[in-house]
Amino acid sequence: MKVAMIGWEYPPFKTGGLGTHCYGLTRGLADKNVDVDFYMPKTNKKAISDKDNLHIIEVGEASIYPYDRPEDSELEGNFFESVYRYNDLIVKKVNGKYDVIHCHDWLTMKAGVQLKEKLGVPLVVSVHSTEYDRSGWIYPNQWFIDIEKEGMEKADIIIAVSNFTKRILVEKYNIPEEKIHVVHNAVYRLGRGEKQDIVLFLGRLTIQKGPEFFLKAAKKILDHSDIKPTFVVAGKGEMLSRLINQSVDLGISQHIMFTGLLTEEEVEHIYRIARVYVMPSVSEPFGITALEAISAGTPVVVSKTAGVAEALTNCLRVDFWDVDEMANKIISLLKYDVLHSTISDEGEKECDLFTWDGVADETMQVYRGVI
Amino acid sequence: MTSVCFYFEVHQPMRLNRFSVFNIGKTESPFDYFDNQLNEKIFHKVANKCYLPTNKLLLDLIDQHDKKFRISYSLTGTFIEYCQKHVPEIIDSFKDLVGTGAVDLIEETYFHSLSGLYTDLTEFEEQVYLHNSMLKDLFRVTPKVFRNTEAIYDNRIAKKVADMGYKGIITEGAKKILDWRSPNYVYKAVDNDIKVLLRNYMLSDDIGFRFSAQGWTGFPLTADKYSSWMAQNQGDLINLFMDYETFGEHHWQDTGIFEFLKHLPENVLNHEHMDFVTVREAVERYEPRGTIDVPWAISWADEDRDVSTWLGNDMQRACFQELQDLGPQIKKEKNQKKLEAWRKLQTSDHLYYISTKGFEDGAVHSYFSHYDSPYDGFINYMNILQDFKQGMKPKP
Repeated sequence: MKVAMIGWEYPPFKTGGLGTHCYGLTRGLADKNVDVDFYMPKTNKKAISDKDNLHIIEVGEASIYPYDRPEDSELEGNFFESVYRYNDLIVKKVNGKYDVIHCHDWLTMKAGVQLKEKLGVPLVVSVHSTEYDRSGWIYPNQWFIDIEKEGMEKADIIIAVSNFTKRILVEKYNIPEEKIHVVHNAVYRLGRGEKQDIVLFLGRLTIQKGPEFFLKAAKKILDHSDIKPTFVVAGKGEMLSRLINQSVDLGISQHIMFTGLLTEEEVEHIYRIARVYVMPSVSEPFGITALEAISAGTPVVVSKTAGVAEALTNCLRVDFWDVDEMANKIISLLKYDVLHSTISDEGEKECDLFTWDGVADETMQVYRGVI
Repeated sequence: MTSVCFYFEVHQPMRLNRFSVFNIGKTESPFDYFDNQLNEKIFHKVANKCYLPTNKLLLDLIDQHDKKFRISYSLTGTFIEYCQKHVPEIIDSFKDLVGTGAVDLIEETYFHSLSGLYTDLTEFEEQVYLHNSMLKDLFRVTPKVFRNTEAIYDNRIAKKVADMGYKGIITEGAKKILDWRSPNYVYKAVDNDIKVLLRNYMLSDDIGFRFSAQGWTGFPLTADKYSSWMAQNQGDLINLFMDYETFGEHHWQDTGIFEFLKHLPENVLNHEHMDFVTVREAVERYEPRGTIDVPWAISWADEDRDVSTWLGNDMQRACFQELQDLGPQIKKEKNQKKLEAWRKLQTSDHLYYISTKGFEDGAVHSYFSHYDSPYDGFINYMNILQDFKQGMKPKP
């Protein structure tokens, strides 16, 4: 079996779950003797493969990322143009004999649709996030929605990262349920470190990820309890200055640490030493970070509107807006050692169920269904 | 003769209110811990689906079969309190049942607690007396047979119960204590002469768990088929012990469970070598055929048939310890309200909700739990115990 996979990011360069997924999936498939050509834009950190049947092919350059949003009208022109340019280039570059084309998220969907026609092979589309998620359901941009909808309609089959996302595809994009196959994400286990009194938020600082709810919960915790942990906000994004102001206004800035964007090593380190990980996303198709945290023995408090909340048994679920309950759960994890140790032991064990090998198996099942 | 001994556990826990760390130290009355609204709602639902129709059906069956159909119940104190508060006619119908002379009542701890596993058994004994006087007051019955919470049993409990004057005790016919032996005989405990009635879990679970399982080879289960299975069993006694909620609640009316029950007595009595007995008659009629030795506690719960359902993880054990440690202090205070609340917190269900068992058992647990996860169950319960420990603030 030979797959042309169209992506946008791949480690060592990645900005989100899409890159992590493509890495795990392509390697999992390669281990099952599937030939994978992975197409992506050129980056300054060259992605490499140590497997004979997995080729990373860089095509042209692109200055945008899957989670970018055009911020003003001037940029908008460049933004859309850049997307079209990359897609056109892909369509030109991808030739030869493939059994299936597999593309990921809106950025690559135009190319996917055209390649399906050009090569006459089935198209599989993976949805890692929708415009509704990325906008936090506030003013979703129709331009993205149209691209996503076209890609989903033209695809022979769709892979959604959760039932949560599947429901959005059915309800907002009118995609028939039977066309959508749910494959949950997986994790390469990190292992534990020496825990410190850190409560961690890690993600892009955007509306979607709900960092302001994290700060509100931090305020509740600091006001209430004798435990004074450090609240780490790791990541960058358009909300950074607003969040810094918020923490000053709340009078808790001495307990909050904004780290900016962390390197891969730093991310792994902070997962290992944090005592609690919080993912208060407004709308999260999956949330691989929650799996990464628990694989480092760090219990997670996750939003109920996150795909991982349906997949991971050993976690604490909250409504992202319910900062009282969020604070209750975080304090409980800090205060009751037996709760912390049980959830981290059971959660770490549960990570065995989330393997990229398994994701590759399920994805191959999907391929076989359309080839 | 092979006797069929039907016994039903009738219990409802007092479920807890949402109680966050922010509530600790702010409770006005310890009764605020309990979610009266939810409890009342669930009780009414189960009353209509199970208690009222099943009581009526069984009363009719006893009449129809001229008291040859005989059954036993254990009614927990918390269940009776629900009835008194919300649906008193349930108590009346139990009085009617007891009045037939074909129904026996079983003793247990009033609060359906795990006090039988405490280091000091004083609290256990007090809860048994409370149950005993409740049955005497309401039904004028003094039980001869004891069944501990969820059939939890070990040598120590058996000895205590024998010392308290009971003639029989009920537990699970677990493979690990019987080995090759059959549950269909009466046994005796080690060190004393109390008779032990062992639940036939195959036949009991055929009704309790498998009745509506369409993938099961026995499906659909008819009274005729089931009676012929029982008729093939060797031994003195077939002990069918199950939750009363099996009828109408675990298996809804549309599964045909009531039809099954309706035809069961006639089908059993059609076999000439079979009859029905109450638990009291079972221990009076049959002599022990062997001794059972249970150093480590067993129960009728889950696949493990031990106490891991309630004390299987560190969170459960921490709560259990916390709860037990509160005892001496509360008893010293002589505050009736606090004592009662503490006892209601001892109901085993609160620990059951914190079980982290996986797969099949886990699915059963979450069916019965009103929490999102065992972790939520722990946080809520532990917060309440912390509040309890801090003591109530005096009212202004």
